[in-house]
Amino acid sequence: WQKVLYERQPFPDNYVDQRFLEELRKNVHARRYRYRAVVFQSGAVVQQLCSVCVFVLTWWYMAAGALSPQGLFAAALASSLLGYVLFDAVDGGAGRWASGRTRWADLKSTLVFAAFTYGFSPVLKTLTESISTDTIYAMSALMLLGHLIFFDYGANAAIVSSTLSLNMAIFASVCLASRLPRSLHAFVMVTFAMQIFALWPMLQKKLKAQTPRCYVGVTVLFALAALAGLATVSSVGAVLFASLLLAISCLCPYCLIRLQLLKDNIHGPWDEAEIKEDLSRFL
Amino acid sequence: MDGDCGVLWGKVSPWPLGTGDNGVPWGKLHPWLLGMGDNGVPRGQRGLMGKAKSPPFGDRGQQGPMRRTGSHENNGVPRGKVSPWPLGQGTAGSREDKGIRWGAASTGAHGPPGGWARRSLSAGPAGPRRPSPSPAEGAGRAAGEQRCWVYHCSRVAAMVKQYVSEVQRVTKVNVSVLGSWSNSKQEKEESLSEFLEDLGTIFSHEPWIQISKEGNSKFWSCSTLQKHSNNPKEEEIILVYYDQRKVMLSHLHPPLDTAASTDRKADDASKLSAIFDTVAKSKVLFMTDRYDDGPIKLTHWQSDGVEASIIVELLKQASVPACMLLTFLLSVISGICRSRVLKFWPLSFLWSKLSTCEQLGYRLQHLQVISSNKKAQNESQLMRKANIFVSLLIDVALGILLMSWLYRKNRIGHLADTLIPVADNVAEELQDLLQWLMGAPAGLKMNRALDQVLGRFFLYHIHLWISYIHLMSPFIEMILWYVGLSACLGLTMALCILSDIIALLTFHIYCFYVYGARLYCLKIYGLSSLWRLFRGKKWNVLRQRVDSCSYDLDQLFIGTLLFTILLFLLPTTALYYLVFTLLRLLVVIVQGLIHLLVDLIDSLPLYSIILRLCRSYRLAAGVKFRVLEQQDGKPLRLLMQINPLSYSSVVQTYRLPTYSCYPKDSWTSLCKKLFLGELIYPWKHKGEKQD
Repeated sequence: WQKVLYERQPFPDNYVDQRFLEELRKNVHARRYRYRAVVFQSGAVVQQLCSVCVFVLTWWYMAAGALSPQGLFAAALASSLLGYVLFDAVDGGAGRWASGRTRWADLKSTLVFAAFTYGFSPVLKTLTESISTDTIYAMSALMLLGHLIFFDYGANAAIVSSTLSLNMAIFASVCLASRLPRSLHAFVMVTFAMQIFALWPMLQKKLKAQTPRCYVGVTVLFALAALAGLATVSSVGAVLFASLLLAISCLCPYCLIRLQLLKDNIHGPWDEAEIKEDLSRFL
Repeated sequence: MDGDCGVLWGKVSPWPLGTGDNGVPWGKLHPWLLGMGDNGVPRGQRGLMGKAKSPPFGDRGQQGPMRRTGSHENNGVPRGKVSPWPLGQGTAGSREDKGIRWGAASTGAHGPPGGWARRSLSAGPAGPRRPSPSPAEGAGRAAGEQRCWVYHCSRVAAMVKQYVSEVQRVTKVNVSVLGSWSNSKQEKEESLSEFLEDLGTIFSHEPWIQISKEGNSKFWSCSTLQKHSNNPKEEEIILVYYDQRKVMLSHLHPPLDTAASTDRKADDASKLSAIFDTVAKSKVLFMTDRYDDGPIKLTHWQSDGVEASIIVELLKQASVPACMLLTFLLSVISGICRSRVLKFWPLSFLWSKLSTCEQLGYRLQHLQVISSNKKAQNESQLMRKANIFVSLLIDVALGILLMSWLYRKNRIGHLADTLIPVADNVAEELQDLLQWLMGAPAGLKMNRALDQVLGRFFLYHIHLWISYIHLMSPFIEMILWYVGLSACLGLTMALCILSDIIALLTFHIYCFYVYGARLYCLKIYGLSSLWRLFRGKKWNVLRQRVDSCSYDLDQLFIGTLLFTILLFLLPTTALYYLVFTLLRLLVVIVQGLIHLLVDLIDSLPLYSIILRLCRSYRLAAGVKFRVLEQQDGKPLRLLMQINPLSYSSVVQTYRLPTYSCYPKDSWTSLCKKLFLGELIYPWKHKGEKQD
């Protein structure tokens, strides 16, 4: 018996012999995850959640008047400078040399951005005057959620769009900033948002690549700071947030590894249908 | 009338004879007339056209005074005297004649041709004078007769040939002898028919037609002689009568969809137009009318054998110097218009925007067309000139009427007095509107700061406008008085000036619209571009599509900020834009209606419509046939009448081209432009470059 249909054979058309399915392979490309690595990688998600939390807390404090804009501005400025120095020191200047971006360019963009925001802060302040508070809250929540969804955590998926996530975060910050008492508050808020959503992840990525131990430490500290701040505002929230963080960092990797055992991909000498669609065109 | 006989001649048609739509076989027509003697063909005579399978032939009838009276009888015994041609004999004193006659087809009373042509063409050089009739004496019916016949035949044939060639030269239509006819009061004579058949041998024409009529009957009998035919079958002949004068004067308008019709239809249509064409070409043969011997008419005179009205002659003579004067004036005016002084930028811009100047230019063009020295080449050019002339006349008459009404009882003063309060009123209404917008219009929530800015800006403009109007108020009456004088140039001019005055008075609305539209347009474009930045995409100009793009951090940041700002300020700007666009559209609609009216007056072909009303046969769309009295054994008789054009096709064919203002955008593109905030110019003038 030959495995062809174009010759007449004494066997029926659907006859198979004992070599049937001997070329079947299962789970050839399945990855074997290791728990610690997965937990380590989930730090990125934890970090972003904490960033969002810190941002909202800052806004809350500013709206309540507990935090003065000048204080926030000073703190943010100091930490930015520290981060800037660290950014170059971590990999010994290799990254900067590779990207070719000079310090002068950095300074220019900082100045431009600061001037622009300062100039437009009166406009930003009165932007949403006529819109109800509930709408503003809903819009901001949606935008921050979108920021979390589209953020680039290092996975190579179609849904990832770092531009979109950053823009959504800025949009949310402008919405929230327009609810603050004065235009200086708005300016400081927007600047802080920029730092925490654009500059902090850049630094963290570099840390993760260069010094994993440091990265873990920084993540844990950041999470604790966020929890502490949240606890001063609402204890229920703090508890919920803590559980969320634990779930993401410990529970989810476990689930992932367990579910990997249930994978059942079959491969063989037939053509497989692969979806090569670029989902980013829906965004 | 005397019995006659003669030779039929007419134009030969190269085409095969087919049957027309209504089953009447046709062939080519043209029975025409042939030159006829002094008494030319009286107009208003019925003609005889025959066809069927035979080539058309015609005979001419003739009559003298009938034309003046214009009456024809159906049984067409031609009245009037005819001088018989010399020829052959005939019994002296008998009222029968025979010989060759030329027949022109369309004229002549119905019935057999009456007389003999005495002279060939009155318009051309006189044909050979026929020898005076020599009484054919009596050779009787013997051999002498035969000889006589032969003698006369050959001599007559030569004369006929010469005559035919002269006719051909003058009318430029290909003619030849087609057959013979005879109309005898008494019984048919053998010798007569022999004579006529012998003629057939001299003039070879295939097939040779012979028609005859006996006694007082009105029915003709026809027969054809096929000498060398392959299929000698009984041919059916149909006689078609028509009014020659009407066909001569009318102008055929073939149906406009000849391309869509079948070949046969197109073929028939072209045959019909060839008929009309040929009848019209033989106009010169009809002009040799004999004038009445009756009482002298003071309003008519005769020249070249044609009677004409003296008034018309005088007008024609006077029109030449008038035209020259008009041409001179027009050249002076157009020279001034084209001078360099008026071409500088602010002035040229102004001229192009004012519709009065357009209308003036248009009318000047019309005047130039009318006053040109060249005669109209063809029918359509003549109609165009006439239409322009009548339209101008009516326009000026209406304008003068308007002016007389306006200047009576100091209406201008009243108008001027009410103008300033009306303008004030409009400005106040606008101010109220802006105050409403600056509050919370219709419950919508505006951005307060932007609202205040825009509102104050527009309020200041209105304030400027009101002070300007008040400054002008002492001069308004005088300006209106002088401007009203221009109504004597025509009603269209007055309407154009009205439209321009409306445009000037609502200039501030136009300004507001432009400000609002530009702001809104900027915002919309900014928003769409920043929305693409928001998603991380960019417009690829080269490929005309949206592509992904990696932006720098600061670009992203500033872009998002701007996007947020623009998005939240959109409702305010959109509302201002909407309000001012509606106001502007209102003004545009009013102006547009005035322009439509002006266009209508400009382009309506009044002369053609009046012609269609009064002389409907001049504009022919086709022909229709009516069956006349029949008799067994005789050929079918049909009466051809002209089918006039319908009024809608008259208007469509003879419409004067205007500088037509028509909306340049379709509805969907207009809506799209409004949505995007692009400036709309709904009325475009032909020849204006697009912005």
